[in-house]
Amino acid sequence: MDSPRIRLWDLPTRLFHWTLVACVGAAVVTGQLGGGLIDLHGKLGLAIVGLVVFRLVWGMVGSTYARFAQFFPTPAKVKAYLRGEWQGEGHNPLGAMAVFGLLILLAVQVATGLFSNDDIAFVGPLYELIDKELSNRLTGIHHLAANILIALIVLHVAAIVFYGHAKKQKLLKPMITGWKEGHGESAKGGGLIALLVALLIASGAVYGASGAWLPEPLPPPPPAETPNW
Amino acid sequence: MKSKLLLALISMTLAGTAAAQVKPEDAIKYRQSGYAFMAWNMARIKANAEGTYNKDEVVKAANAIQAIANSGMGALYLPGTDKGKGWEETRVKPELFTDKEKVGKAGMAFNKEANEMAKVAAAGDVAAVKEQLGKLGGTCKGCHDDFKMKK
Repeated sequence: MDSPRIRLWDLPTRLFHWTLVACVGAAVVTGQLGGGLIDLHGKLGLAIVGLVVFRLVWGMVGSTYARFAQFFPTPAKVKAYLRGEWQGEGHNPLGAMAVFGLLILLAVQVATGLFSNDDIAFVGPLYELIDKELSNRLTGIHHLAANILIALIVLHVAAIVFYGHAKKQKLLKPMITGWKEGHGESAKGGGLIALLVALLIASGAVYGASGAWLPEPLPPPPPAETPNW
Repeated sequence: MKSKLLLALISMTLAGTAAAQVKPEDAIKYRQSGYAFMAWNMARIKANAEGTYNKDEVVKAANAIQAIANSGMGALYLPGTDKGKGWEETRVKPELFTDKEKVGKAGMAFNKEANEMAKVAAAGDVAAVKEQLGKLGGTCKGCHDDFKMKK
């Protein structure tokens, strides 16, 4: 049956995307402002851990166009795309590079953030596991990667604007509605069980990242006897 | 009269040398010690604000930070201490020694909030302490962003 539109992005992918936009936006702002907002920044980081892990799992068990294998930018695909010979739905090879780039950078951001310190009054939830020297290095990477991430987000948005104006491809709408005008195959797969598995793994990752499983630094009840001056 | 002049001269010289006598290595150590000690006190205030509040603890911690903030630590940023090792390699950026106006502003902002922190701690309102700790931390960050090296 010929349909004038196809199902492109499944609901979990879209929810993931827009929640990520909100969390990363808030994380950038709270990270830059610091002060009393730094604790919120840490919590947003944990949320992003969950989102990124969810997307990594969803890239394997999600529906057609959400799968990494479907849009992995092989050199052959990129070459074909640059020659204007690439045909397909979903992420084009250049867009796919941005997707992987963003996911990798976000993974670096949350991974380093979990072990970071600000030399003020904030440490990441897994800071206890490493020494200060290494934490300082990871914090440095966190600051550096933040700038690269922001640049890549700007490029991502600019590319969508460019495709909209120059190529008349409306990329924004499908990410909101899930539907794309045109012929082609609708996305399949990514059912409830896949969703539950992805959510479960993502929750596990957030738990692991939160450091809630770490032994209490000191058994709180008996306060150590120290001089009272 | 002569002896008085001589005494003044000697004491001036001594005072002069006393200030100059801080070895670069020691100056960096004092700096790092000051920041580390403040970090302990920042963490103390935070722990109290988030857990069981002990006013006395917070007052002590806030007073310690205030004292260090008003100790004139700028004097430890001697020429030639832009590089070197104290307890560890200094992470000061060269800009701290050149962009005097900006450093001055960052320092003043920190002083102001540290003084305010001590006041708020003395008043003992937990919510206010939490908020002021955020403001104070923000002034730490203001200087870190511009003058502390990212490794």
